[in-house]
Order: sequence, then structure tokens, then C-alpha cells
Amino acid sequence: MADFQIYQSYQRLLKNEDLSTPLAAILALTEMMKQSNAGTMFELLNELKGNAEALSRHSSNPIGLNAGCELFIEFITLFPHDAASFSELKTELIRQGQQYAGQALAYRAKIAELAFDFIKDDSILTHSYSRVVLQTLLMAHKRKRISVFVTEARPRGMGIKTAEMLMAAGIPCTVVLDSAVAYAIDKVDFVLMGSEAVVESGGLVNAVGSNQIAIIAKAANKPFYALAESYKFHRMFPLSQYDLPSHNPGVLSFPQTPSARAHPASSGLSSESSSILSDNGSPIKITQEDIARNNPDVDYTRPDLISLVFSDVGSLTPEGVSQYLVGMFAG
Amino acid sequence: MASDPQSAANQRIVEDLVSRLRRRQLVGSRATALETLLVLRQVVSKTRFSNLDQLVNVIQSVGRRLVEAQPKEHSVGNTVRKVLHHIREEYHTASEQPIVESSFSIAKFVLQGQPRKQATIPRSETRVPLKENDSNDPDSFARVLKPVLMEAIQDVFDELETVYDNISKNAKDHIHSDEIILTLGMSRTVQSFLKSAAHYRNYTVIVAETAPSYGGREMAASLSSAGISTFLVPDSSIYALMSRVNKVILGAHAILANGGMFATSGSLLAATAARSYSTPVVVCAGQFKLTPLWNLYHEYGALDFGDPNAVLGFEEGDLVNKVDVVNPYYDYVRPELLDVFITNYGDHPPSSIYRLLKETYDDEDNEL
Repeated sequence: MADFQIYQSYQRLLKNEDLSTPLAAILALTEMMKQSNAGTMFELLNELKGNAEALSRHSSNPIGLNAGCELFIEFITLFPHDAASFSELKTELIRQGQQYAGQALAYRAKIAELAFDFIKDDSILTHSYSRVVLQTLLMAHKRKRISVFVTEARPRGMGIKTAEMLMAAGIPCTVVLDSAVAYAIDKVDFVLMGSEAVVESGGLVNAVGSNQIAIIAKAANKPFYALAESYKFHRMFPLSQYDLPSHNPGVLSFPQTPSARAHPASSGLSSESSSILSDNGSPIKITQEDIARNNPDVDYTRPDLISLVFSDVGSLTPEGVSQYLVGMFAG
Repeated sequence: MASDPQSAANQRIVEDLVSRLRRRQLVGSRATALETLLVLRQVVSKTRFSNLDQLVNVIQSVGRRLVEAQPKEHSVGNTVRKVLHHIREEYHTASEQPIVESSFSIAKFVLQGQPRKQATIPRSETRVPLKENDSNDPDSFARVLKPVLMEAIQDVFDELETVYDNISKNAKDHIHSDEIILTLGMSRTVQSFLKSAAHYRNYTVIVAETAPSYGGREMAASLSSAGISTFLVPDSSIYALMSRVNKVILGAHAILANGGMFATSGSLLAATAARSYSTPVVVCAGQFKLTPLWNLYHEYGALDFGDPNAVLGFEEGDLVNKVDVVNPYYDYVRPELLDVFITNYGDHPPSSIYRLLKETYDDEDNEL
């Protein structure tokens, strides 16, 4: 299958609101397998790896889909089988992938159930938009009196979507600026955070801003709970923000302005208004798009800032995540 | 069911323990664990069952009654969970059906890790085949399984009997010569730990008297009679003395899945003081205190409250009407404040307690 084809089917699958990136990646790989005419396991695995790489290359934020691809490929490598023919085995593997994606949709309810035990009549801070957090909050609302602070989560502003959905369900809810989290934290009982991936250290990769919320929560001594389906466990060990695959030289780079080249010291920081001119007379204007382009989508939260990780395999301490990853990928 | 004389006898012993728990005639985590085990042994030996589910159901319902009688004595529930775990284990070995991974799926892969090569050891012993729901002879299942179950329960029993010795086994590796140890309350575990170390080391113990139960006085008397140099101090001086202390050794009432614990009131004070001087905090506790619950500390009611008379007696009649007096038995101590748990299953940091729990109990029993 050509590169763009797998990416297209991945994009098409993602249109389904319920599918998260790792599951969409697994399903895209099963679609590819259907079309593949690999005759041996070795060929099939090569093809899978090639396609997984292609997917990751096309995506701007490949962390979630990498977790899904790695899980599926590792599973296929280790699948014990006594199939008579290779095509039979292939059908079985495709069936396994699709069956898993089907089962995995129920994981959010399971996680909501686990996290529910930790919720009292509380006010909760959450960040950006996460389906599992939303489901947990909606479930908690049925039986508890909760109120929710949602951060706006720039640059994508997904927090507003969360707030709208919570309000529609009748949950008292207010949108907090990303920069006002420290102001709001004393009104909050705990933080509930979704995730793109949970890495081997037990740390969390999630929409940018999660890290600073975790730091503030730690400083204010509030519990910080992460919610993650087990297919988001990712075998990666980032030591800093810049080890994430989503980091590229463009992020936080210094744009070349005419004035900066002439007098590096005089480049104005607060160039909000368009009336500011550079030395050679051309106006300097920074748009929201410019800022977004120059900034990361996701950040990494250290495990020592996380109180617990709720997952469909149980409530885990951050260290507990590595046990599952080691079980799957090392042995 | 009730007409059955055997189950009536079961009812009686269960009710007896329930009322003793409820009246607080029986307190202390080890004592309650032992009594629970005795009751379960009786129940298993007297119950009629023809398949595993029946037996598990009976034990669960007994366990539920006992736990409801005194929910703060966590070791009751823990013992029930442990017995259930052993019953399932024995059943799986006896039924000679090693849990075959016939259906390997991604969900299983995530949960259990890589598929293991199945080492099929041909069993040399000839066993009586285990037949469930045999309609001709409904007791055959129980007849085969009961002896192994009794053995398993006896093992749990032996473990409880030797728990202090096993915890104290490595005491000399944790306490060094000329150290100053701070402890509080009256914990049999800590007492035997300190005494066992005294055979090898010369060290000093500071005991906080632990008002209002004054368990510390009892502890101090017992330690000094064993020849350990002991100081008894008021609770209020814990912080002041902490700069001189090398190690804080505490007992626990229950250890929770997140690595936090319930311990005698005053433990939180000692642990917090220790943290500000970076003094290590060591907790000695038997494995039966491991409790597979996470969220107890959310509930103020999770703490147990004792008799307020010890704090403010009725002789102060004038005041009694005007103030609320509470006497909480336990503190919740957060995992961040603790350094290591010394159990009869080895030494563990708070962060790996959840793993120990997974090995000890079956997940399905967490809610009895």
C-alpha cells in the first residue's frame, strides 16, 4: 500500500468521534493487511513496519499512533498460532485487531468507574478535551455534585469544546485561561487529566499545558490523576520535553525579522499592535497562527508530579505502568 | 439453607465473631485476622458444596458479614481475600487444568505480557479426578478439595503465627550501633523488631508516650525491661528531638494500595517531623495488613474514633457540654512521607505495594 493510502484510511477512521489515535492506527494497519499480498510472516511484518513509519511520518503528532502501531506489531510478532496456511493466519490477525478495537471502546467506561471512587462532591480541574475525562465527569455528575474548571488549552482551544459539552449536560463549569491555573488552583480539589500516551517512566504525554498544571498542582498539594486507556501505554523514555518525537527545530525557534538581524537587542517583545515598525520600515505583526506554528502541541509531565494513573487494567502508581510495558515488550 | 444443621452451626460461629467485633471485644489487626481465619476454617470444613462457585459464594457472604460488623478492622477483609485467593489457586492445581491460554488476544497481551512457553510438566502423582457438579455423588468435589484447602488455610495460619519473627529476622540490618530510634504507640511488631535488633546492637530508643492511649508508656516499659536504653518523652517534643534521631520506626494498622497507611494517631506528626529533617521513616507491618483499597483517605469517616473520655473525662462536667471532643485512633500517613515497609515478605518501597497486593489477592475480591 502506498504511503498516502494508509494515511488516508487513518484520517478517515479518525473521523469517527469515538476512535482515539492508537485504535485508528491499529485499524488502518488491519485495512492494509487486507490488501497486502505478503506471502510470509517476514514480508508481512516488514510491510507493517513500513506502513507504521509512513503513518508516523505524515502525522504532525505521531505519539499516540506510534503506541497503537507498536502494540499491534508486537502482538503479531508474538502471536502463537497453528494456522494451516498463511492466509488463514492473516485473516485471524485482522480479526484480532478489529476485535480489539471494538473491545477497547468499552475501556473508557471502565476507567470512569475506577476514577469515580475517587470523586466526592468536588470541584475538579481538567485540561483541554479528552473523551475519557468527559465520560468520567458525566458519570460522576449523575451521582455526585461536581463542578468543573476547564482550561482553554491554547492554541487549539479544545477546552471550550469540553466546557460546552459539560454545560449541555448541566454540570457547573467554567473556562479558565491557561495562564490563570495558578490563580484557580486553590478552588480545586484535584486535577483530572486525559492523555495522548503514558510512557515507561510513568510520565504523561498530553496536550501542551499539562506539565505546568501538574507543577502547579504539586506546589498546591492537590492530587493529579491521569486517565489513560492501556493502549496508550507507550514504550518510550523521554528525559526532557525535547525528547518527544513531536519536537522539531521549528518549535520555539526565533523567527528571522529584519530588525533582529540589524539590532538583535532592539527586537520588540510586545509587538501586539500592527503599528510597530521594524528598522527598515516594514510592519511587524504576530498572528495567532504564527504563535501556534512556533509552539508545541504536546508536552511531557514527569511521573513524580502524577498521583495515580487510572487505566482499564487498574489504578496504577506511575511506576506501575512500566510493569505492563516490560511485560509486553521485553521478555 | 438454614434448616441444614451444619450451616446453622456455621451461622452461629459467624454471628459470634460478628458480635465480638461489633462490641469491640476483639480489637487489633492480628487478633482479628486470626479469629477470622478460625471462623473461615470452620466454615470451609462444615459447608457442603459441589462446585467452586458455591464455596466461593459462601466464603464471600461470610466475609461480607464480618467486614460489615467492623469495617475499620481491615485485616478481617484481607484475611478473607487471602483465603479466597488460596482456594482458587488450590482449585486450579487440583483440577489439573492449567489455565490454558487458548484464546490469545491483544487485550490479554496488554494485561499479561508476552505469551509464555507452556512448560507442561507431566504429573507423576495419580490424583483422584476432580469432578464438579457430579449428580450421583454431589459431595465428591468437596471430598477431594477439602483436605488441600485445609492445608492452605493452615499455611495462612502458620504465617500469621510467625509473622513477628519473620519481620524481625532482618532487624539487625536496619538498626546500627549507637543509633537513636524514635517510635510511638504500642505495636507488637515494632516491639519484637526492636528487641530482636537488641541482641546484636547497642542503640537507644526514644518512645513518645502517645496520648491519650499512652501505648508508648507500655512500649517503653517493655523495651527497657529487655535491656534497651529507652527514653519516654511527651508527644509534644517529637519535633524538637527529631534533629537527634537517626530513624523513625512505626507500626501500621492498615497499608493501602497507594503505599499510604493508617497508623496510631501521632504517626503523621512523627512522619512529618521526620520529613523536615530528612530522617528515614521505616514501617514494620505484617503482610496481612495490606489492604487493596485506594480511596479510604478521602473519607473523614475512614478514620476510627475512640472513646472521648480519654481526652476529656466526665469529671470536667462543666466543659463536656460546651465542646466537641474527638479521639481519633488513627492517622492517615501519605506515601510520600514513608520510606520503606518491612514485611514478612521482604522490604518494599511504598510505590510497589500495589504489586504486592496484586500477587496476594485476586482482583475480583477487592470489593467483597
